[in-house]
Amino acid sequence: MTQKIKDTIVKGVVYLATGITLCVLLFIIGFIFIKGIGLINWNFISRDYNDTTFYAFVQESNSPTTLDEKVQENKSDYDKKYETPLEAPVYVESIGAEITKVLYKNYTTEKEQFIISYISKGSPLLSAVNSNGTSIDVSTDFVLESVNGNEFTGMSTEEVKTLINDQSGELKIKMVEPGGGIRSNIITTLYMILLSLVVALPIGIFGAIYLTEYAKPGKIVNAIRFAAECLAGIPSIIFGLFGMAFFVVALNFQISLLSGSLTVAIILLPVIIRSTEEALKTVPIAFREGSLALGATKLQTIFKIILPCAVPGIATAVLLSIGRVIGESAALLLTAGTVAQIPGTLFSPGSTLTVQAYYVTKEEGNIEMACAIGIVIIVIVIILNILSRIASDKLNVFNKE
Amino acid sequence: MDNKVKFNTKNLDLFYGDFQALKSINMEICENEVTAFIGPSGCGKSTFLRCLNRMNDLIDCVDIKGEIIFDGKDINGDIDVINLRTRVGMVFQKPNPFPMSIYDNIAYGPKCQGLKDKAKLDTIVKDSLERAALWDEVKDRLNKSALGLSGGQQQRLCIARTIAMNPEVILMDEPTSALDPIATLKIEDLMQSLKKLYTIIIVTHSMQQAGRISDKTAFFLMGEVIEFNETPKIFTNPDDKRTEDYITGRFG
Repeated sequence: MTQKIKDTIVKGVVYLATGITLCVLLFIIGFIFIKGIGLINWNFISRDYNDTTFYAFVQESNSPTTLDEKVQENKSDYDKKYETPLEAPVYVESIGAEITKVLYKNYTTEKEQFIISYISKGSPLLSAVNSNGTSIDVSTDFVLESVNGNEFTGMSTEEVKTLINDQSGELKIKMVEPGGGIRSNIITTLYMILLSLVVALPIGIFGAIYLTEYAKPGKIVNAIRFAAECLAGIPSIIFGLFGMAFFVVALNFQISLLSGSLTVAIILLPVIIRSTEEALKTVPIAFREGSLALGATKLQTIFKIILPCAVPGIATAVLLSIGRVIGESAALLLTAGTVAQIPGTLFSPGSTLTVQAYYVTKEEGNIEMACAIGIVIIVIVIILNILSRIASDKLNVFNKE
Repeated sequence: MDNKVKFNTKNLDLFYGDFQALKSINMEICENEVTAFIGPSGCGKSTFLRCLNRMNDLIDCVDIKGEIIFDGKDINGDIDVINLRTRVGMVFQKPNPFPMSIYDNIAYGPKCQGLKDKAKLDTIVKDSLERAALWDEVKDRLNKSALGLSGGQQQRLCIARTIAMNPEVILMDEPTSALDPIATLKIEDLMQSLKKLYTIIIVTHSMQQAGRISDKTAFFLMGEVIEFNETPKIFTNPDDKRTEDYITGRFG
């Protein structure tokens, strides 16, 4: 009887614990989605975080196109960010686009601006080039600031129209591509994953091969294993400090993609070594014996038999590593910086999605954007998960018919 | 004795740490014969077999004393182990095909030796499978995984894989203990036909098998060779009382 009561209590505790875990998880994901989903759209993903100002050179249209009434009715609403137009939209024939005066909102400033609200099919804007002659992707929502040096500040929409139509020949238009997106962060994150894996995977795999295949069991091997396990337990801010002192300052790599990825690579090493070691250990000894008995060398046995058998385990290591890179913030904050830009070279800084989420929350108090970034991160993790599982299945030698 | 001596061991002792697994083995194994090792579990017959192509190298803390002369050279001395293993192949107790296609399994050994010529590899694969009496069963599925074969087929594949190296000696460590009677029979037939080309040394737990297939039999007990003689003699009129006891089933 007492045993029965005990059982019931324990069972209750187990269910309760599961329930709490599930609730917390659902609550967090729910919170992130509810807060952030409003910001998710194509512009959020495809735009840079900062506004970019540039000059566009546009050949004025010889045969000005007029706006089709039907098209005008069907054209999409303005981005909600710009809210209601201050004046009615006006079609400017010489650039084949419609402009609207709106209250342009950045996260820090708010001012009256003229934005392109519609571009017709034959518009010369579509073949615009920059000062180097490379073509620019001009699209709606771009802000117009001046034409041929004449600033638009303080003008009405009609005045701007007249000003643009009065110009002849090539127009030099100062434009601002609105920011607020996370394209650069997505790309930096992918760079970071790629670079850190390129560094950490070979070292980790070869280290694991040494530990399982070559090292004689003894003090040295135990010491290496102990070191790897300790590394896995150290908080990443410590690695960040090391990376800052060593890569950024001592090696003078600056706060950059390279410093960041090398620091993350160090964080990844124990993860990769451990999972690869486990995978190598599960390869049956019969395969090694069979291979050696056929006159294969140890190296041939490792590379032709053992490693292919360990591929699923190594894929798991890659997956865990990707998770680590995406989730890493403290170490990258110190070594790769918080600049939301696409790193042009290995030595330029860039912030990953996680760092950006930290940055917008901490510096701008913009929880919505952080949550939106959270959604993007979750989606990326899910996609990578599925991809690596497919890859692992395809490469698994035991699955093949 | 008509045939040339292939292996000649002189005072071979083997220690696993402090435990002496083989005690002063002296044995001459002749070419193109089937030699069977019988004896109870743990008597050292597999250990002795693994000495012949130095598979015991894989195990730590093994210490070998004495000589194993193979074609005039001591194989524990200064020889090329890789070369030795290509000349002395081995088939294991449990079939251990590699997780790759049937073709790649056979071609693995030659490829490891640096053979790249596709046409030559094709010939080797076909010949080896034919000699292992497996060609007709697998010729249409050479590119399928070897893991899809039955246990008996897998073991014949392992034999074919060994044959592909064109060895002089094939060591077999209880090759049929994981197989059913029909598969066992096929492997035994195979051994009879392979005997013309190769020297075969087999460890077996089945005395009937030793009686059926071998020309000579060695009886091992507690790390010693109690008796080594022509198979009919061992089974009908053994010299040693212990051999007779084992064969008649009084112990072991």
